[in-house]
Amino acid sequence: MALEHVAQGQTRFFTPGIAPDPRGIVLGRFIMMTFATLEGAVSWFRLYSSEASLDELLASLTIVKGRTALGSREIVVQIPAVSSYAADRAARLCRLVGGATYTGTSKHYVKYRDDRSPYGYDAVDIGAMPAGTDFMVHGDEFAQGYVREGELPFQRLLFRLTIRKLPGGEQLDDEDRGELYLAVARGLADGIIRYLWRNRVEAEAGLFTPGTTSAFEDQARDRGYMLIRARGLPERILALFMGTPGIDVFKPAGANAAVAVGYAHPIDLGSCASVFPPETFHVFWPGDRVDVLPGPLTLSDIGDLTRVDLELEKVSEPGQHGAGPPPTIGVELKLAVSMGPPKRVVATLIATEHGPRLKRILFALPPVSLRGHRVAVTDRGILVIGSENLDVIPLGQLMYELTPGLLVPLGMEVVPRVTPEVLSRALGHAAGLVTVFTNDGMPFQVQESAFATLERRSLAKLEVDRADSISYVADTVGETRVVNDAVGRFALWGFPDVSDRKLLGSGDKK
Amino acid sequence: MAKPHVREFLEHFVKPLVAGGELHVGRPIPADQLLAWEAQLAEASVETEAVDDARMAVLSTIVYRPPPLLFEADDLALCAGLHNALFLVHPRADVWTVTDKQRRRIVDTALSMVSQPLTQNRSRVLGRHALLHNLFELTRNDVTVSWWTGKAVFQGQSPPTRLTAWKGVRRVREDTSVVDFDELLAVPDTAPVVATLVRRSPLTQLLTSHPAAPPLHWEDATFLLRDAELARAIAYTLVPEGPPARITSGPARLAAAFEQMLERTPDEADVRAVAALLVHLGALFCFAELTLREVGAKSPLLSTVLAAEAAAQRPRGLATLFALPNALAQVDPRLAVPPGIEEVPALARRWSMHRGQTVELLGDAVVDAIVARLKRHLRAN
Repeated sequence: MALEHVAQGQTRFFTPGIAPDPRGIVLGRFIMMTFATLEGAVSWFRLYSSEASLDELLASLTIVKGRTALGSREIVVQIPAVSSYAADRAARLCRLVGGATYTGTSKHYVKYRDDRSPYGYDAVDIGAMPAGTDFMVHGDEFAQGYVREGELPFQRLLFRLTIRKLPGGEQLDDEDRGELYLAVARGLADGIIRYLWRNRVEAEAGLFTPGTTSAFEDQARDRGYMLIRARGLPERILALFMGTPGIDVFKPAGANAAVAVGYAHPIDLGSCASVFPPETFHVFWPGDRVDVLPGPLTLSDIGDLTRVDLELEKVSEPGQHGAGPPPTIGVELKLAVSMGPPKRVVATLIATEHGPRLKRILFALPPVSLRGHRVAVTDRGILVIGSENLDVIPLGQLMYELTPGLLVPLGMEVVPRVTPEVLSRALGHAAGLVTVFTNDGMPFQVQESAFATLERRSLAKLEVDRADSISYVADTVGETRVVNDAVGRFALWGFPDVSDRKLLGSGDKK
Repeated sequence: MAKPHVREFLEHFVKPLVAGGELHVGRPIPADQLLAWEAQLAEASVETEAVDDARMAVLSTIVYRPPPLLFEADDLALCAGLHNALFLVHPRADVWTVTDKQRRRIVDTALSMVSQPLTQNRSRVLGRHALLHNLFELTRNDVTVSWWTGKAVFQGQSPPTRLTAWKGVRRVREDTSVVDFDELLAVPDTAPVVATLVRRSPLTQLLTSHPAAPPLHWEDATFLLRDAELARAIAYTLVPEGPPARITSGPARLAAAFEQMLERTPDEADVRAVAALLVHLGALFCFAELTLREVGAKSPLLSTVLAAEAAAQRPRGLATLFALPNALAQVDPRLAVPPGIEEVPALARRWSMHRGQTVELLGDAVVDAIVARLKRHLRAN
């Protein structure tokens, strides 16, 4: 079996299902990594999750136990080849933990590029696969067939892993203490709530019983505890709680999970948030215990949970007060700086005063480079939406799409973090509307019908009536039709001769 | 009968010519009436302003900031000449009462009116183009009314109601046919007037065309290519989106005119300017293919328009358009590649792919023939 180095610009390959990407690197639909042990695969997940988001891989991620013809077993991890950059990162980390990386689409996977062949490899001698073989990898000097023995869902792997004690992990700085969860045994709950309230710690509490799948597990009810979410917990109180039996402190890891303080999950839970269903909240305890609570957590302010003393003997007459309007219930939507991975830019909002610059760019670019771009001119700015290549317009606030038609400035996210469906409902966003969040004001909405193809005609009137109109579309020149007027029977009678006819094509230029 | 004021002419002929609508053709305009109208222009500021606004709207998609325009006597003369040319296809100009001598007089008058001086002034060129940009798009509705005992044809006129009344009883039928530039201004009487007219507006000749339009003389138009903004507008208008035949029809027309230019004795600088434009158009074809999924794939555009099976249907100038960069590489390599193409590697790859595919489809003989013709005009430095 021989591998051939792929040359720059090569487009035809022996291996089925691989093609060069825009950089010329050979890539199939998937990247496949083989590890001798499950620990190797876990190490890879650990490294990758600390560097990049696993969420983008989870949709097509599979972990398979593969058996070779000689009976040896290997762990095979298959991830989608999102781009050659992601594939490079996966391959680098795979080499670091002793695995091998291949790329392909269905049955045949060929060795992924390395320093010796920067554009990748192509297997030149692909024969028929042995019967019973599910897929085959082609390496430098070997071709190895595998039979699938079983699949290990990533979710199961994640919950099987034990959280690890971190040296010095109990020491939390101010930022880490910003939001903490306290699991308090029922007997201590009243005292702890009173203690926090006295110390003016902002907190909410709720009573939870971990979910169980067994109908016979009556003890689950006994394991119920009060979960308190405390904000800005002072260091001295944290130290006190850490040393008190019956109180466990957890640090949030992503939106739907929390890990005991002083411990860390081997895989960065924040990078694989999509594993946790939105209707659950996972609590990772030391000692392999994972509680699944109903989510999102519904908690009450501890100010309303402090003890109430009633003296029924003292009768006080209720005063009469006029009824006011019902208090509005709601939270203010805000934009906050996002720490997540960068998203794909789909739109840009250009200030109206920068319109002439946009027009200048528009007039300088070939129409073909603006293919697929649409523009809507509003009193809040000029909104340009593009399918790709939006970088040809280096103007305005770049935006990404939270959900179809809902645009958010790049580098920002909407808080409180609610699902796009809830956000759409709250904003009245629907099909046929484009909702735009801006850094400096209320979001606004534009009808899809207000968008026009971005071309010279779209902004042609920009200089003409800049003050009032927000429609910059040039007037369409109508069809010109010749109409012959009635001229009478003797229209040419008396028509004079030309006396001083000029010479044709004199060439005089003025 | 009172002579019409220039206001009526501006309102019913000039403005529809620019902005679209019904273009009314009435009695022919004699030379002395044109002189009178030139004097009346100052009294028709409302109408001239409306025409200038319409011209600005036309130019707004061509240049970033259209120059201020003022409707002047030479613009009026061009319009009057066109009006007289259109009168020659008026039904009243073709009746027995009109003699050949009278028609000759109208042709001569129209020719003298449109024989305004050529110009290279940017504002004037743009103004004339805005005035005549619709010239090749002019149409006329001819209605044929037939009834149970006869029929009548109305060219650009509405049939009288007495002929169309009682449609059912009299079995009246109206058929409308649309007559375009071919039959309006490309007939033997009007063709010389139109040829003289379009020569006064070279930008119109570059941007718009019709198969029956007078041929382009590059010598009149090369000065436009030295204005970067106009050259860009010309290039982008000539390469529209659409099927391959539509994309290449405009550039092929210019290349055909370039072939004719090489047969004359043009200025070397003009030859270089036109060659540079055609090479730039080739780069735009490559630019449109940057989004092809397979980077090294052959150009579908070239495969379609230069296919050997379709060689007989190729428009004139198409082979020259694509073979010109290959020929220039042998005559003057500085002109053979658009400047700055190496800065976009993907574009440079497409460019070399196009060049290779062109030789493959057209053969070396075509390139060699162009080389021989170019060498007569270009001195290699």
